[in-house]
Amino acid sequence: MARPLRTAVVGAGAISLEHLPFLSTSPRCELASIVDLSPVSAEIAARKFGAKSHYVDVDEMLDKERPDVVHVLTPPQTHGFLVSKALNAGAHVICEKPLSPTAEEAEKLLAEAAAAGRHLIENHNYRFNDEVLALRSVIDEGRIGPVREVDIRMALPVRDPGGRFADTNVPNSIHQMPAGVLHDFITHLSYLMIDLAGVSHFERVMAAMSNHGAGDLFSFDDLDAILISKADVPGPETDETPVHGRIRFSCRTSPDLFSLTVRGADGQASTDIFHPFLDVVVDRSGGQQLTPIVNHLVNGVGLARSGARNFGRKLLQHTPYHGLTRFLDQTYAALGADREPPVTAADVLAAARLVDAIVASSALQDSGRSAHTHQESGR
Amino acid sequence: MTAEHSPRTIFVTGATGFLGRHVVNQAALRGHKVIALVRPSSSARVLAPAEASGNLTLVRGDLSSRKGLAEGMAGADGLIHLAAVKGGDYFSRFAGTVIGTENILECAREAGVANLVAISTFSVYDYGERKAKSSFDESFPVIQDPAGRDEYAETKLYQDELYQRFGSEDGQTMVMLRPGMIYGQDELWHPLLGGEFGPINLRVGFRAKPPITYVENTAEAVVLAAEVLLDPASTSLVDGEVINIVDDDLPTQADYADKVKALIETPSSIPIPLPVMQAAARVGAAINRGLFDGRAKLPSIALPNQVDARFKPFVYSNEKAKRLLSWTPRFGLEQALQRSVNPPALVGGS
Repeated sequence: MARPLRTAVVGAGAISLEHLPFLSTSPRCELASIVDLSPVSAEIAARKFGAKSHYVDVDEMLDKERPDVVHVLTPPQTHGFLVSKALNAGAHVICEKPLSPTAEEAEKLLAEAAAAGRHLIENHNYRFNDEVLALRSVIDEGRIGPVREVDIRMALPVRDPGGRFADTNVPNSIHQMPAGVLHDFITHLSYLMIDLAGVSHFERVMAAMSNHGAGDLFSFDDLDAILISKADVPGPETDETPVHGRIRFSCRTSPDLFSLTVRGADGQASTDIFHPFLDVVVDRSGGQQLTPIVNHLVNGVGLARSGARNFGRKLLQHTPYHGLTRFLDQTYAALGADREPPVTAADVLAAARLVDAIVASSALQDSGRSAHTHQESGR
Repeated sequence: MTAEHSPRTIFVTGATGFLGRHVVNQAALRGHKVIALVRPSSSARVLAPAEASGNLTLVRGDLSSRKGLAEGMAGADGLIHLAAVKGGDYFSRFAGTVIGTENILECAREAGVANLVAISTFSVYDYGERKAKSSFDESFPVIQDPAGRDEYAETKLYQDELYQRFGSEDGQTMVMLRPGMIYGQDELWHPLLGGEFGPINLRVGFRAKPPITYVENTAEAVVLAAEVLLDPASTSLVDGEVINIVDDDLPTQADYADKVKALIETPSSIPIPLPVMQAAARVGAAINRGLFDGRAKLPSIALPNQVDARFKPFVYSNEKAKRLLSWTPRFGLEQALQRSVNPPALVGGS
């Protein structure tokens, strides 16, 4: 194995607690430093996770510690300048999502990384979850045929009083992002869409971001987006057949869910990251008559097994964030061996552009709607 | 107003909280000027008695941000820091309790507020260290490995560290109070009687006399601590000291539970003798170590050190609080329970 890479973490907030257990135990890296504006946060995180140093000043840390890799785990608005500093100091950067508020800024940062000969990697952790990889295998093995539709839904109670987004005393800075609170997870929804649909660009995007709960704190709390990979259908079914995507977020349904359904020409497969299982509906031996029965039996047994496995997962704290460990392990393995990391610059940019397209489409709908309302009232 | 100590200006965090409201009201009624830190969206209605006394100033702010804190504290003689976060995941607790304390102490330094009454907790003690029924005072050992018990104890231990540092800096003083389980209005059925184990409620042990203190008694101890610390004639008496706060004549779990049951509806629960619970917790821990390398997350009530911390019987002393603060718990159990279910109206005057 390559020599361990010297790692520094910038930002000792909640998400650092997902990164640090890997960084403190993996033989692929050596936790050199933790930086936080709060001295006690940096000090205690360093003590808990065995970091060799801690700082409040990122410049001082970069200068004295010369890390090989820097994890930027601060609020999204601060990613840009911290990523630049780390790249300038010669480090690869692993940045929490979203890398930046806009695709334009993401592109600029990725260009900086390319110029510096370093990798800039956004955390696409859910791509590395067991259940997403299982879904990926079903697609790659051709079991459901060419992918025609992907449906991604997330439900989280972001407006719950007492939650971190609903605090009116010190509003969460995520509300200032272009998609408001949706920006906290829209990157996940976008890279999963791109990964499962197998297309890097959707030519038609029709999206509505809404603030159903109204008020000044949230700019948006709901997302409904329809995506079509091609502008025009070129005739009979070929490989050129467009892929349809649907992304839905709601804070008004429960329980929490994060469901993924992929429909292909020959079948469909579903899972849910928060309630893991794998359901595959395909033509089974037994012909048209027996196929539904065989699908039910096979999936029923799978569901029962998932129940037992999920109990074990709960007990062993195998959380929906477990993909992060696999993502980091593969990323460090690639960086150590000077290979392309599993999340490429193209992946990061494609996700950022899809987010941009959703935000832009929604803004367009809104301006269209207000123009329409204006016309109506003018009559 | 007591004869011994002259009126002071005291900045109080957590002012509208369960304990804080009583601290603010009592301090104001004893003639002190109170500057109460209240979050922008919180109602200060519970501070009506202090308001009516003319001794209350409200400062709106939140400990997660230093904005306005130092300015709000300017001119205060002392700081009573009560705010803490008791729920949520590790980071919510860490942010609310540890970063919040770091922020307020940094602002105190900036504003020149040099005297701190710090509120710690019995949860930081290491209950596994000594035999059951041994005496329990301030010399009882404190947990050495903060990450070893639960998130509440861990974050409170980090907070204690910040308190100690503040108190040891030049020209600054600090007294640390460790109240036992504080009970009062809406907080009568407490975790030292039992707790949830999945969908069922357990009552663990019957004859232990847990370290409890009625909220108005606790509040008086806090105000007295501020008075003693802020009076130059008595500062040295309490500066740097840790003082446990528990009431007199502590009732057994069974006694207390019976009295509470007569007053309010309590959760129905299954009684378990302490030795049975301790044995079950040890078996659970052994299975976890043997089969899961200790990685399984069990309900907190099933962890051996939690069972000890909550239910193991000791003989608690409040001698130091009485000696240093001239504190006597004003309300006995019966009276405290009555005041909890029929609280005095929130109007000016006592």
